[in-house]
Amino acid sequence: MNELLLMCTIAGRRAAIPAVEVQSVIEVENITPIPGTPDFILGLTALRSQALTVIDCSLAIGLEQACTSKDQRAAVVDIDGHLYALLVDEAHDVGEAKSEPVAVPGGFGEGWQRAARGMVETDGGPTLLVDIEHLVSGPLRQAA
Amino acid sequence: MDELLADFVAETREMLEQSGSELVAWEADPSDRKRIDTIFRFVHTVKGNCGFFDFPQLEKLSHAAEDALAECRAGRREPDSALVTAVLAIIDRISEMTDAIEAGEELGTGNDDALIAALDADAEVEMQSDVAIIDEEVEIAAPANDTQTEAAPKTPAKGVQRSIRLPVDLLDEVMKGVSDMVLARNDLARRLREAGEQPAIDGPFERLSAILADVRTSITRMRMQRLEHLFSSLPRLVRDLSNELGKQVMVDFEGSEVELDREMIEMVRDPLTHIIRNAIDHGIETPAQRLKNDKREIGLLKFAARQSGNQISLVITDDGNGINVERVCEKAIANGLYSRSEIDKMSDKQRENLIFEPGLSTAEQVSSVSGRGVGMDVVRSNIERVGGSIEVSSKPGEGTSFHLQLPLTLSIIAALTVGSGDQRYAIPRSYVEEIVFGNSSHVEFAQAGDRRLVTFRDKRVPCLSLGEVMGSETNGECDWTSKTLILVRLASDDVFALAVDRVFDHEDVVVKPIAPAIMETRLYAGTTLLDDGRPMMLIDLPSIAQMRGMVGGVRTKSTIAEKAEKVMKSKAVPVMLFAGLDGRHRAVRLELVRRIDTISRDAIDIEGDRAQAVIDGEIMTLAGHDTGPLPDGRCRLLRLSDGEHELVYAVKEVLDAADVTEDVVPSEADTAIEGVTLIGGKPIPLLDGHAVFSRYRATKKVEHTLTCRIPEGSEWARTILEPLVQAAGYRIAGEDDDVEADLAIALAEDGEVLTGGARETIRLRPEPEDAGDDTIYRYDRDGLLAALKRIRTGRAA
Repeated sequence: MNELLLMCTIAGRRAAIPAVEVQSVIEVENITPIPGTPDFILGLTALRSQALTVIDCSLAIGLEQACTSKDQRAAVVDIDGHLYALLVDEAHDVGEAKSEPVAVPGGFGEGWQRAARGMVETDGGPTLLVDIEHLVSGPLRQAA
Repeated sequence: MDELLADFVAETREMLEQSGSELVAWEADPSDRKRIDTIFRFVHTVKGNCGFFDFPQLEKLSHAAEDALAECRAGRREPDSALVTAVLAIIDRISEMTDAIEAGEELGTGNDDALIAALDADAEVEMQSDVAIIDEEVEIAAPANDTQTEAAPKTPAKGVQRSIRLPVDLLDEVMKGVSDMVLARNDLARRLREAGEQPAIDGPFERLSAILADVRTSITRMRMQRLEHLFSSLPRLVRDLSNELGKQVMVDFEGSEVELDREMIEMVRDPLTHIIRNAIDHGIETPAQRLKNDKREIGLLKFAARQSGNQISLVITDDGNGINVERVCEKAIANGLYSRSEIDKMSDKQRENLIFEPGLSTAEQVSSVSGRGVGMDVVRSNIERVGGSIEVSSKPGEGTSFHLQLPLTLSIIAALTVGSGDQRYAIPRSYVEEIVFGNSSHVEFAQAGDRRLVTFRDKRVPCLSLGEVMGSETNGECDWTSKTLILVRLASDDVFALAVDRVFDHEDVVVKPIAPAIMETRLYAGTTLLDDGRPMMLIDLPSIAQMRGMVGGVRTKSTIAEKAEKVMKSKAVPVMLFAGLDGRHRAVRLELVRRIDTISRDAIDIEGDRAQAVIDGEIMTLAGHDTGPLPDGRCRLLRLSDGEHELVYAVKEVLDAADVTEDVVPSEADTAIEGVTLIGGKPIPLLDGHAVFSRYRATKKVEHTLTCRIPEGSEWARTILEPLVQAAGYRIAGEDDDVEADLAIALAEDGEVLTGGARETIRLRPEPEDAGDDTIYRYDRDGLLAALKRIRTGRAA
């Protein structure tokens, strides 16, 4: 019920990532691109001596527009032993969920429907709770 | 309580591993009291611990085994193979139970009673057991102590290594911390360089760097495990298999103290098991067969491990029947892998290595042990996956050897860093056979359809552009002649050329795994961090080759014969041929060349006698620039190293690598060369590395160098002897050097002059015949060098 969430903006929409999953929020400076990978993988960046895979959340959801961010904020998450930096438009504060994630009749729209675990009520209003494991596997795999 | 339990499980496991091999050794020699004692102590300890933890079943089992072993120790019972099998079964059950305890599962009753019953030679013994135990308890203490005191003087070297148990995560954490420290240090080093020289800071910083390097090495070693861990489980496996197949096999280990990365040990366990199965099943004959063939009825399976550099070589040898090459060939033809004519063309070695081909098993009958469809091809691919290689050699009737080469660790590999587009990539060096420049006169490009081919050394190999693979350019726009070609030889002996924009350096990189989504591209095998903290991708060459159809395409069978030839000429000195700035061809010993740099003309600064080149932000001394005009635009430099210092040598073009097999004829006229030799029928001057370094480098620190006085006024001494003596690490004492020299070299024909003022004297005679007066023939290079070395090491000590 009182799950802590990292509030952020993805593709102009209010979204949230479960705070327990987030190790830290960083500002991504240099990204080394990796040729041959899908669009949503921006490349690698180094955090201390570890390499993080940088994921563009907007593209990963399946939206056409890439993340537009001034300070390149990203949430660092660990999935199956691999570290990812989830690049978002903006990363705000940590807030509390006021409800369980619920589905909304009619869905959240293309892409979002697959990438979101549901809608939660927060202090800032209704927010989409993002499923990070879906994010890192990208839009193509979900479709398959 | 949980912690105690974990300790119990760990301790039991450790003892289990040890006792497995002890049991087999004991079976081979039932009179070996020491083995029985060890196993007895194991079950005894388990029994004791069980009582403490309240595992009645475990206690019952170990108690029963203890009883039976106690009988043997007391001499009331002869240990036979039935008993060994029964004790082994119990130990297996204990191992199962230990696993269950660790997992927190129910132990289950199993058929413990049957196991216990199997121990009994006859019922009588059991009836007496109550009495016997009391006797034994008393006895246990005494003999146990005895054997310890007895054994102690015999094997003092084995020494108990003090050890503690650490969670692997903690080790990884520390490793990561150290890696972070190295990056922080690199960052600091860059800033210090930018800030200019600051002696007060540079000193301590150097020390910090050195300490850090040491710590890093130690941490890496912490991840190492002795091969013993792997070996200790093998006798048991061999015993079980040979029993099952009705054969008798003895195992022998060598080099169990060699250390290998923990993960690597786990990776080779399965392939090794498979090789053992094969050896016992197919290789070693039945005892009757062996006696008929004039062999000992017990077969021998030998494991020998050796460390060489950052590679471990592991040789598994059996003295069985060898590989039936004929049958392997028949099978390969029958299975449609090769045609008869292809097989006929193969060398014996290639035919033997057919056993690694997928879809080949020589076993006529599928036994329960091997020949279950999992073939040697899987073994090979598993070994290759961890960056190793495997080869087989076999002699009919005498046995088979498998040679495994394994990298020391999984995570650190030797790599070549290359550039393509704006990116840097790492390529595992084990695949790289040769590097050539696309514009070199030996390289010809050709096209077949859309496939680019390159002809080099009369071989035609397909060519791939890394830029095209990575999607940064298309084949059409690729300017092949401006590329550097890396000749890649895959483990399958397929060769292709990979064109890259630049080759930077070779270095050992720490490889980290990459996210599954990146893995899916099948282009990369991992990632690594550069010194400045930027990530760099490690290219997965076998996978790229497979995607591009480079595997199994143009086979280059001829190259193997070439290799064999090379080995024959092992005495040859490898050199690199180049054209100097004046266009004349010269050669330099390949050992001196560390790498080839290409820089722009602007990065070279020449003023009077001073010539320097800037490479990767470092200023290096430039040599060879005085032979001719520097080319405009890009300039090629050989980076030469004497092990401590480096300098760059400007050349017009790098031509080829060659071997010097002819004699080097010294030249007195030109001191910059070692001599002239024939390469491919042409006279080629060989650059004197020593002269280059002594000319462009400040003389070495004198205080550490021994001085040598050589005959003055002798042309021969000055031109021939002096370089040799200097190369051996001596400084030549000048005429006005009044100090006592460490060594003097005198010519025998000069008589007894000039031996004063030196601590040692070597006398040289002009004739090769031994005059019996401790002189050395003046052209006896080996003898002279040996004498120089002896005196030098003697002085240093």
